[in-house]
Amino acid sequence: MKPKVAFFDFTSCEGCQLDALNLEAEELIDLLNTVGIVNFREVMTEREDNYDIAFIEGSISRESEIPRLQKIRSQAKIVVALGACACIGGVNCLKNHLSMEEALEIVYGNDAKYYDTIPARPINAVVTTDYYVRGCPPTTTELLGVIKALLLGKKPDIPNYPVCVECKMADNVCVFERGMTCLGPVIRAGCNAICINNGRHCWGCRGLVDDPNVDSEKDILQKYGLTVAQVVEKFKIYNTYAEVAK
Amino acid sequence: MVTDSVLIVDDEPIVRESIRDWLKDAGYQVTTAESGEEALRMIETQDFGVMVVDIRLPGKTGIEVLREVKAQRPQTKSIIITAYPSVDTTVEAMRLGAIDYLIKPIAPDDLERLIRETIDSVRRKSMVTTEVEILPKPPVVEVVEVKKAFVITKESLKSMIESLSREIEVVGVKSRHGKYVYDKITNFEELCLDYDITVTPPTKYLLPAKETLLKFKLGDKTKVEPVTDATPRAIIGLHPYDIKAIELLDEAFITTNPDPNYIARRRNTIIIGGDSLNPSLKSFTPSMGTHLTETGFDLMLTDIGFDYMVTVGSEKGAELLAKYAEVREPTGDEIAKQKAVRDEAQTKYKTLLDIPKERLPKLLEENYDNPYWESRSKTCLSCGSCVMVCPTCFCFDIQDEVSLNLKDGERFRQWDGCMLVDFAKVATGENFRHDKASRFRHRMFRKGKYIVEKYGRVGCVGCGRCATACLADIASPLEAFNAIAESSRIKEAAIRIIRETRPETELYVPRLAELVTVRELTTREKVFEFGLRDGKPLGHRPGQFVEVSIMGIGEAPISISSSPSRDGTFQLAVRNVGNVTNALHKLQKRTLVGVRGPFGNGFPLETLEGRDLLLIAGGIGLFPLRSLIQYALDHRSSFDRVILLFGARSPTERLFLDELALWSESPEIEFHETVDRGDENWKGNVGVITTLIPKLEIDPKKTMAVVVGPPIMYRFVIGQLKKKDLTDENIVMSLERRMKCGVGKCGHCQINGVYVCQEGPVFTLAQLRNLRESVQ
Repeated sequence: MKPKVAFFDFTSCEGCQLDALNLEAEELIDLLNTVGIVNFREVMTEREDNYDIAFIEGSISRESEIPRLQKIRSQAKIVVALGACACIGGVNCLKNHLSMEEALEIVYGNDAKYYDTIPARPINAVVTTDYYVRGCPPTTTELLGVIKALLLGKKPDIPNYPVCVECKMADNVCVFERGMTCLGPVIRAGCNAICINNGRHCWGCRGLVDDPNVDSEKDILQKYGLTVAQVVEKFKIYNTYAEVAK
Repeated sequence: MVTDSVLIVDDEPIVRESIRDWLKDAGYQVTTAESGEEALRMIETQDFGVMVVDIRLPGKTGIEVLREVKAQRPQTKSIIITAYPSVDTTVEAMRLGAIDYLIKPIAPDDLERLIRETIDSVRRKSMVTTEVEILPKPPVVEVVEVKKAFVITKESLKSMIESLSREIEVVGVKSRHGKYVYDKITNFEELCLDYDITVTPPTKYLLPAKETLLKFKLGDKTKVEPVTDATPRAIIGLHPYDIKAIELLDEAFITTNPDPNYIARRRNTIIIGGDSLNPSLKSFTPSMGTHLTETGFDLMLTDIGFDYMVTVGSEKGAELLAKYAEVREPTGDEIAKQKAVRDEAQTKYKTLLDIPKERLPKLLEENYDNPYWESRSKTCLSCGSCVMVCPTCFCFDIQDEVSLNLKDGERFRQWDGCMLVDFAKVATGENFRHDKASRFRHRMFRKGKYIVEKYGRVGCVGCGRCATACLADIASPLEAFNAIAESSRIKEAAIRIIRETRPETELYVPRLAELVTVRELTTREKVFEFGLRDGKPLGHRPGQFVEVSIMGIGEAPISISSSPSRDGTFQLAVRNVGNVTNALHKLQKRTLVGVRGPFGNGFPLETLEGRDLLLIAGGIGLFPLRSLIQYALDHRSSFDRVILLFGARSPTERLFLDELALWSESPEIEFHETVDRGDENWKGNVGVITTLIPKLEIDPKKTMAVVVGPPIMYRFVIGQLKKKDLTDENIVMSLERRMKCGVGKCGHCQINGVYVCQEGPVFTLAQLRNLRESVQ
């Protein structure tokens, strides 16, 4: 009996789902031989409420999303957060710096009264979350890594070390040495430093490591020329939720 | 700056004024301040050559004053004076720039000489620094066997490398974003041979970031096969320090438990080194002996201007030259040029190790608990950059990866490092190196000690890559080793200063003391008040002892029963038990006796201050403890509660009856007393002293217990104190041992390795737990 896998989306761009199974045909066949996909709005219309593993995309930003997520939790054996919004709140949490009234006003103007919104949060702020597939978007390799680990009955190996490790493995010249700044020293690796490999810096989409030295990182960002406000902005993009929760 | 100006900071008018008068007579401009605050106000507006500061001041302490002066007026030289020398405060003071430490009472000549020397040294120093540039240490000339060396033209080198690259993979140094990295070389022009340092070391070709060890098939018949990669490869331009690092890897991966993956790569790797003539700013390879190498390469290139010298290091190297290159014998000038460029390179290093590298293992061993590890690692990001770029780091993690069909898989190894948080974490969740400080220390110990001891080679080649990669700027082993060496040096100096205050010639010569008063305490005990004949105070601290001598009879260690805060005399309470004490008991007023000391560490006033004191005296244990009781009462505001428990065997053996009566009345001290056995007149508590403890309400976090009594008493008192949750660090005891010489030599008082007369007689229980002979 193949385990049944379902994908659900909450407040998000749905990019994670779109990217998730962007596989070579051969890999897709291998995957479909090992799991049954029963719920995946981006790729199929059939639906089933009987599943073992639920992948959740998106953060929680409306009251009505809470009971929906709780219901999924009660039906799934394993709940996996998929992507930055589900794992750490992601860019949706940028609105948490405003009052909810202001946020609605800015987005919907005169129609604001027809909508409700609450401060955005990662799914683990609402339900117990078993595993995380991080990134904006996550890599297919990592998603498949988690699926394979679950099928083999072991804990997925998600790094708890910063991006610097993979960045050094990739032989990059440090972003700071190239006159830019970077969140790599406190952000969880697993992306193989993809942004830095491509000439950019780390934005923090995979969230902080378990025991980040954020104070030291902030001092370093300032030493390399950022103002306090710029440092805050840098953390805000993906990590508002963790920073506010501190 | 007026270098002849001296600022004296002391709260005792007599000290302040007498020093001022001596120094004025000696021709200095003298200013005085009676508190740290006043001194700091003066320092804001005036510059002083020398500051003489007392450690113990009301308000801001001498140490705090030093800290601020160091920040505001770093050129001001400070001399510390104190009546209570301790190694800890001396170390702290010297860290904050104090240049010397004088112990009260101060001899005017000593102080004047010290100030004179200080001022002279400042003058000399300012002259030197303005006129002469201080050059790095001269290179150590190495006499080495000259290997076979030739000259190769750039053209021939180019053709050799290009020919080689048509047959095997050739990697070398290329420029990237203004830095240098090792990468595949396809044409000679992209190869840099005059680089300073690469971001990551060439060791990645022997131990790649990720490498498959095994391939396996799952299913009914699990199949496992080892995987090795033996791609033939030439690495061009490795600097000597990286070659030395590879020699260490050879030691770790070939000598014991030969590693097939490493060996396969190593056998198929050609090493063509290049001398490092343009070292990076953070490199310190000469200190580690890795700036040059005579081994570990097949060929070694030295850029001597138009052409290269090429030294042959192996058969393989000789074959390469024979097959691909045209070389000729070097001229005498060219050999001289090679030496000259190497020598010149050595003058370019900016930082050097302050001690010989051979001393590192021992230095680290002695500094495992140095506060440096904790303080310096606070900003550590645990990002692992230091270990990822290190050529001598070779730790790895091993993981399995299975393909989507869940049938095929491989086991691979991947770089890992001890600076990463989860490195020492086990499945149950414990992390055996969970804090930044222990990880930071472990890495430095690996570089300076563990690897050296295990493999007999330097664990750090001094390349400086970690120092460049570390954003928090804390990763350089050079900085750590130098800081530890410096703190060790300061500590040694502090111990020496404290020990040197009494000149050696007088080590066994007693000072003369006159018996001022005698008072009988019981039939067996008397208290003697002495004054030194030269009129100076004894200069002791509570809990110390003196050797009292009566010529012809002998010497005996006697604890001092009075606080230094009382008068200029000192009191010794003595039970008549032996030859010397018997003779003492017969003495008449105004007789002279000999006194050496004070000796020993005394009670730890610095730790006791600000705490609740629980003082426990059994019998004549009250004699030494009385010095602390008096001290605490004379400095009442320095302590919170002062509780005193006293137990005597019987009412007739109670001591210092008048003081017992005073203490029982005083609101400043909570006094409880008991006797083991009462008599018809005794109305107080009856029972051993331990019976007083359970009734006390004490705060175990704030309370320091100080216990002095007969050996039998300690075990039971400790048992009761533990029930009150006092930690071993918060229980202090004074031990009695046979202290004959008082100066840590004769050996009678030794407990395991510890000389009680020097490091004791006062110990915390925590210290005693490590002294198995103390049997408490």
